[in-house]
Amino acid sequence: MNEKTLRMLRASIILAFIIFVVGYLIYSRIRAYSLAPTMKPADFHGLAVWEIPIAYLIDYFSHGWICLLFAFVAAGLVYEFVPKEAITKYMSSGRIAGYGLALGMAPFLTVCSCTMVPLFGGILYSGAGIGPAMTFLLMAPSANILAILITGEMISWELAGVRIIVSAVVAIVAGVVISKTPWGKAVEKEHQVNVSAVNSKIEIVKPPLDERLWAALKFGGYLAKQILPFFLLGLVAVSYVEAYLPEDIVGAYLTGFTGILIASVIGGPLYTPTLVEIVLGKGMFDLGMSKGALLSWLMGQPYDVANALAVSRIARWKVVATYMLIAWAGSVIFGLLYGWLSGSL
Amino acid sequence: MKEVKVEVIGSEPPCMRCQAVKKAVEKAAEKLKQSGIKVEVHKANIMSKETVQKYGVLVSPAIAINNTVKIMGRVPSEEEVEKLLRGAAK
Repeated sequence: MNEKTLRMLRASIILAFIIFVVGYLIYSRIRAYSLAPTMKPADFHGLAVWEIPIAYLIDYFSHGWICLLFAFVAAGLVYEFVPKEAITKYMSSGRIAGYGLALGMAPFLTVCSCTMVPLFGGILYSGAGIGPAMTFLLMAPSANILAILITGEMISWELAGVRIIVSAVVAIVAGVVISKTPWGKAVEKEHQVNVSAVNSKIEIVKPPLDERLWAALKFGGYLAKQILPFFLLGLVAVSYVEAYLPEDIVGAYLTGFTGILIASVIGGPLYTPTLVEIVLGKGMFDLGMSKGALLSWLMGQPYDVANALAVSRIARWKVVATYMLIAWAGSVIFGLLYGWLSGSL
Repeated sequence: MKEVKVEVIGSEPPCMRCQAVKKAVEKAAEKLKQSGIKVEVHKANIMSKETVQKYGVLVSPAIAINNTVKIMGRVPSEEEVEKLLRGAAK
């Protein structure tokens, strides 16, 4: 067999696998399986302490595996095939395009946390400046393709959609506001470099299709390895939350205006870029947390500590404080608004 | 003796994927050395002003060969790096 046939064969095998994953997901949708855990708090009564997480994990993985598999395959494919060089080229072009791209590319490039902060730096240093850089940074955690897919499948697609729209609004507001503040301008001035002569120095080499497909799957696997251990721990924690956290406590503290305030404050420190916030949110939602509070909870990510530290090394603490404040206010305001509109405050 | 200059552009502190790229490049460089091509491997910080000034916004990890970015946002195999380096040395 010559090399060309071999490559085609390999590409078709990988494509067949991808088609199977997508097909099975669609099939499960048609059959209307639930892809989220189906156990309710009452189901845990009578189980021994050690049985609780096992029962929950079995319950989840018996139907949730396809959703996870699809999410990681899709994330790998999107990351591999998105034209990165085109995006980064435009990124340094100008302000308004910068905001658009920051929003548009966040879902595709940020499945790996190690790409996020460097890109933030790159956007800041190059033509687009601090506004788009901030927008990108705030949009990234909530809009990456894994977070969207898992939010949609585990909680609801309505909430996934609302989360994206609201995050985009808050991200743009924060970007624009910070670019107008004196301290934001100072950071921008300090970091601006001239990148006009750059474009000729990039000639990306494209490997053959089979290698790209394989690389996409490998990247999906890498993400899974990074995220799944935390995700599993999160599921174990959630099983105990569902089994032992009394519903009246959730009903008393995680609904109404107080609920939104509490959710918005604890959502941040508990946020890890590992999708655990989604599972935990789902657990508390089952116990009676209001939709408004759930949205505030999921929007807590901008004051994730690790991220803020990395950013404060480039931008000053004043910039970090400003975006945290805006993001927090946004999560409260939109939590209230969504709770009120959806009749679940 | 032919010479090639390679820059491994990654985040600082190095992320896992950047380290994987560096390893692939170092291994390929070692092989080329045996066939008489001198490979100079540099590490560049993707967040530094110098890197941004030189290449613009990049997705990490990236590899630049003789001051041209050839690979961005993915981890190439050792063989692929070797092939690229050989091509550049001609």
